[in-house]
Amino acid sequence: MSTLVTTITDGLRYKGKQGQWAWVFHRVSGLGIMFFLVLHVFGMSLASFNPAAHEQMLELYKQPIFAIGELFLAACLVYHAINGARIALLELKPEWWANPAKAMRWSIILTLIFLAPTLLIMAGRSIQHFFGAP
Amino acid sequence: MTTQSAPSGKTVRTVKPLALGRNRFERAAWMFMRYSGLVLIFLALSHFWIQHILIGTQALSQAQTVAFWGAQGNPITIGNLIFRLYYAVMLVLAMVHGLNGTRQVVGDYVHGKQIFMLIMGALTLVVGFLIVFGLFGLLIGAKAN
Repeated sequence: MSTLVTTITDGLRYKGKQGQWAWVFHRVSGLGIMFFLVLHVFGMSLASFNPAAHEQMLELYKQPIFAIGELFLAACLVYHAINGARIALLELKPEWWANPAKAMRWSIILTLIFLAPTLLIMAGRSIQHFFGAP
Repeated sequence: MTTQSAPSGKTVRTVKPLALGRNRFERAAWMFMRYSGLVLIFLALSHFWIQHILIGTQALSQAQTVAFWGAQGNPITIGNLIFRLYYAVMLVLAMVHGLNGTRQVVGDYVHGKQIFMLIMGALTLVVGFLIVFGLFGLLIGAKAN
């Protein structure tokens, strides 16, 4: 537990710029996805074993709070994928390590390019569904 | 870890690098993360896109799952087979990729060997159960409500 506290306090003190935040968000998004995945795989298996429960679960996921959760999931997925690709690519082409700021910038730009339309479409649909005319 | 004497006479401990050829498991795990990650980028993002952008959360239903997977007792179409294979590969790769990633994160914060093994053992059991459970469900097909 103390290691975790030290990590947070010293992490804030480290001032590692983009590289540090890339690493932190990669870790956080990965854990978030894993947590979601455990619930998701179990829930989807219900389709084969308990279809009534599966239907109930799907109805639960249509509630507004899960609509917000989905947006976070989309962000975690897209960021983790693109940053992961950046890491693997930089390991494949080590000469590109020479400019880490540029690689980070590309990573963030690509994340936004894929994330923005996704979030807009999903949020737009949710707003239409929950607040739109019946 | 090995100990040696530095020129100043003080004892210095060195740690064997994990990814060198001598530690086969770490090297294999490292390669697996990259290769599975690459495949998962395609599988996971397309899956998310199909379910949330093409279909939309509000339109998801048990009936849609049955249509994709094929119902139990019904003959399987090629489309069903492709979907089941797609989900099966994604399930195994994602769970193992996630488990290894979690192992690295937990290893960074939990230093006691027993408690580390306890946590990772429990997680591995959960992941193993989910993989078996999920693959079996994909094998037999969805049940119509």
